[in-house]
Amino acid sequence: MKILIIEDEKELSKSMIAYLQRENYHCDLAENFPEGRCRLESFDYDCILLDISLPDGNGLQLLREIKENGKLDGLIIISAKNSVDDRIAGLNLGADDYLAKPFHLSELTARVAAVVRRKRFQGNTVLVFNELTVDLIAKTILVDNKVVELTRKEFDLLLYLVSNKNRVVSKNAIAESLSGDAIQLHDSFDFLYAHMKNLKKKLAAAGCTDYIKSIYGMGYKFAA
Amino acid sequence: MKLLQKTIRGYLLYSIFTLVVAIPVFYFTIQNVLRHQADEELLSTKESLKARLEAEFEKAGLHEIKFLDSGIRILPAANEFKDSLFTINEYDSAEEEMIPYRVIRSNIHLNGHPYLLTRKISLLENDDLIKTILNVQVTLLILLLAGLFIINRRLSIRIWKPFYRTLEKLKKFNVEKDSRLGLAKSGINEFDDLNHSLEGFAERTHQAFVSQKEFAENASHELQTPLAIMQGKLELLMQTPNLSEEQANLIDELADAGRRMSHLNKNLILLTKIENNQFHELEKISLRSVIENFTDTLYLPAIEQKLIELNKDFQEDILLTGNRSLIEIFTGNLLGNAIRYNPVKGKINISMRANMLIIANTGQTQPLDPGKIFNRFQKEGTNSDSLGLGLEIARKIAGLYAAELSYECKNGLHRFITVFPTADLFVK
Repeated sequence: MKILIIEDEKELSKSMIAYLQRENYHCDLAENFPEGRCRLESFDYDCILLDISLPDGNGLQLLREIKENGKLDGLIIISAKNSVDDRIAGLNLGADDYLAKPFHLSELTARVAAVVRRKRFQGNTVLVFNELTVDLIAKTILVDNKVVELTRKEFDLLLYLVSNKNRVVSKNAIAESLSGDAIQLHDSFDFLYAHMKNLKKKLAAAGCTDYIKSIYGMGYKFAA
Repeated sequence: MKLLQKTIRGYLLYSIFTLVVAIPVFYFTIQNVLRHQADEELLSTKESLKARLEAEFEKAGLHEIKFLDSGIRILPAANEFKDSLFTINEYDSAEEEMIPYRVIRSNIHLNGHPYLLTRKISLLENDDLIKTILNVQVTLLILLLAGLFIINRRLSIRIWKPFYRTLEKLKKFNVEKDSRLGLAKSGINEFDDLNHSLEGFAERTHQAFVSQKEFAENASHELQTPLAIMQGKLELLMQTPNLSEEQANLIDELADAGRRMSHLNKNLILLTKIENNQFHELEKISLRSVIENFTDTLYLPAIEQKLIELNKDFQEDILLTGNRSLIEIFTGNLLGNAIRYNPVKGKINISMRANMLIIANTGQTQPLDPGKIFNRFQKEGTNSDSLGLGLEIARKIAGLYAAELSYECKNGLHRFITVFPTADLFVK
């Protein structure tokens, strides 16, 4: 699967590429708009990551061009602005998602995976990992074809981990993804631990292997 | 006290002083002059009167003397004395009042015998004259002063008009929006000087404000990218195989610092956006539903985890017209603080009545400093998670909608009280 990253910040794009490549994505990099436009004319991508605040012009303009050319690529806007207007403008122009800087790479990966799934496997929205099946439409999980009742948060938590399988995902990234801005309230990650405990309990009760491992309290890893 | 009142009060005091002093002085002076005149007349006519009386006496005897007027009286006298002048009041049956008389007493020898001659002349006409003059004088004086007073007032108003215009403009000056005061020429040098200096101040203040705002804005936006880079690198570092526990802990602590930095930055950006009034989407919002969304869903895990006792007393819902995100941030910040600074098994009371929202919580026993807590980066206690911007943001949002947020500590509860404007709540 191919991804085009249009981002002028070298260090940031390097990290993004390093992280995404391990997920078996092939990543191309464009450091400015002309370069991005040129690549888009020659190749097809599964997903485009577009930083709309590049110095050499308006990213929304490029987005408009991409959509006018009828490209079906998934597109995620990356922006340092994070304003509602910006977000709405981008989504109205046909972007699939909007990610504000600073973001977690695990969050980026989860969003890219979601976009790619939507574009590539239209209809096929089930993730399978050995005996564990995640149904993205019904928002349910099955262990050995039997439904395990999860709360919305537990489902989101599991999906996040599965989207980043074989990776150490930091507590921060998970907590932020689960609770949005509410996270700054919590003195600790206790609420994350609580959800995690419940999730693991329910999975174990359904006879699922314990795939979720805590890594020195730094984060979690979903791996066989 | 107003400027005009102050100057006019000076005039008024002077006028009253003048009237109070001048009228008695005037009265006594005139009275003196007239009495003096009466004395002169009495003295100057005394000798001729004596001569005529002596002549009459020789002709007819004392009882037959035809008095020239009723004011002359002759009485036998034992001894001689000097002439004397004095004033007496006598009752006059015709006029039915006390009438002042000026009297001269003098010796007169009639037929070799000493007699006492008294002659009195009425001062009534003099008194009437004084009264009339006085009345005319007082009227004139009052007219004069009133005229002066009115003319002065008019003149002052006209002279100070440019000053009041300048004052009005200054009051309306909004450092966030206006770059100039827009003061007109007054034609009075002093005021033109004043206006000129004020214009300079206004411009510099506005420029300072703009550049300070731009700095905060740019700084926080520029920080987003390095923060993203740092966070990314940390995540990559986490993926390195065979991490030791020590290394993992270090990475974890770095990630935590990064998280705090990025929250801080997000809040700074939010503040700038509120200051820039960048939230235009308005809708009707039920404050009750916003609060319940927090207490029943978003903050429920935190409330349950701390075993906080939550009391809700919603007598009336407060309906606002405002930006939903801002109202959510506003309530979220206040409720978030109530949870964060609450001890385990603490208490939170939320009450809403009429146009008032009160969020009260248990916490540290010492009251907070109400003058400081709404300032930037004021931390409560030693909690490292406090970002010191939450309350400032809440207050800014309240201010945007003309609501007033205040703090008090009562019965061991920290109370945050928001009073919303009553008429057409939160319309902006």
